[in-house]
Amino acid sequence: MRPFARVTVAVATALALAGCATTNTRSFMERGGDVGRYRTYAWGPHAVQTTGDPRLDNNRIFQERVEAAVELQLAARGFEKAVEGPDLLVRYYTSVEQQVNADGADRPFVSCEGCRPFVFDAGTIVVDLIDARSQRLVWRGWEEGSIEGVIDNQQWMEKRIDQTVARIIEQLPRRIGRVS
Amino acid sequence: MTRLITVTIAAVTALWIAGCATMTVGSHVERGLNVSQYRTYDWGFPDALPISDPRLERDPFFQDHLRGAVEKAMAVRGFAWSTDQPPDLLLHYHANITERIDVDRLEARYGYCVTEGCSVPTIGYEAGTLVLDVLDARTNRLLWRGWAQDAVKGMLNNQDTMARQINEAVARMFAEFPKPL
Repeated sequence: MRPFARVTVAVATALALAGCATTNTRSFMERGGDVGRYRTYAWGPHAVQTTGDPRLDNNRIFQERVEAAVELQLAARGFEKAVEGPDLLVRYYTSVEQQVNADGADRPFVSCEGCRPFVFDAGTIVVDLIDARSQRLVWRGWEEGSIEGVIDNQQWMEKRIDQTVARIIEQLPRRIGRVS
Repeated sequence: MTRLITVTIAAVTALWIAGCATMTVGSHVERGLNVSQYRTYDWGFPDALPISDPRLERDPFFQDHLRGAVEKAMAVRGFAWSTDQPPDLLLHYHANITERIDVDRLEARYGYCVTEGCSVPTIGYEAGTLVLDVLDARTNRLLWRGWAQDAVKGMLNNQDTMARQINEAVARMFAEFPKPL
């Protein structure tokens, strides 16, 4: 039964990935790091920098949605927002850049009758967890994917932010010996 | 006949490429915003971001025409420009120009890769983004942001085209402005 279950999970994962082939969610963990020993967090200083897209620069409506989504997901993992003396500082970065999808037109020695290469906006959200005392980066999670047309549609954008942040925080290692 | 079709296709393609960057607009609004509590507005100082392009920022015709178009759109919605009393709303805008790329459709039509891997031909163009922010004057909170994006080719040196593009941008942007409850 166990191998079967594992295969099912693998197939389900493959299908899920195929369904959203353009998003890529990853994370880094500090070597020997253990997020399980942290309990509380606070927002780190907000970096004033361009996102590469004037629609999102200095856009509090966008920023507050990202922050609300991160707070929701951290709370679901048992982290508490600290009033003072937090264990962790949380920071996030967002960026937008154009990318080309060749749609097969770059394959060697292949005629490309039905190929439709296109340019799309790729968006990235990066979430950093920093040890408040040592100021060291403990964990970084991010997702990159096509956001073509998303920013222009606020409802769609908010849904994408919620889903993306959930997938990013999903990669945080679970606390050992604790159901969260 | 074949020749006519070829010419037609070429003409249609040319038009399509010229229009590859048609104007798109969008907006974000603060959740639960009730605009009917605001009556007056004034122009405020823009933030450091997004960055405005000096070609538009230092163009008095652009500045005047844009302000005029926005003031007209605000008046239509019942907002009064307040210069002596503290205003309810503050407005500021950014006119940004960025280098963007698109797939070169003319080249891509002959997309047949005869070597060890081909790159997709792209063409660069300058895209302008006009961002208009409406803030609560007391709390300085962003209530609404509207924007319009379009290729700026032919606009920077032609006041008629510029005026037309500004009018379209402001009109379509304000069509998304929240209505009073």
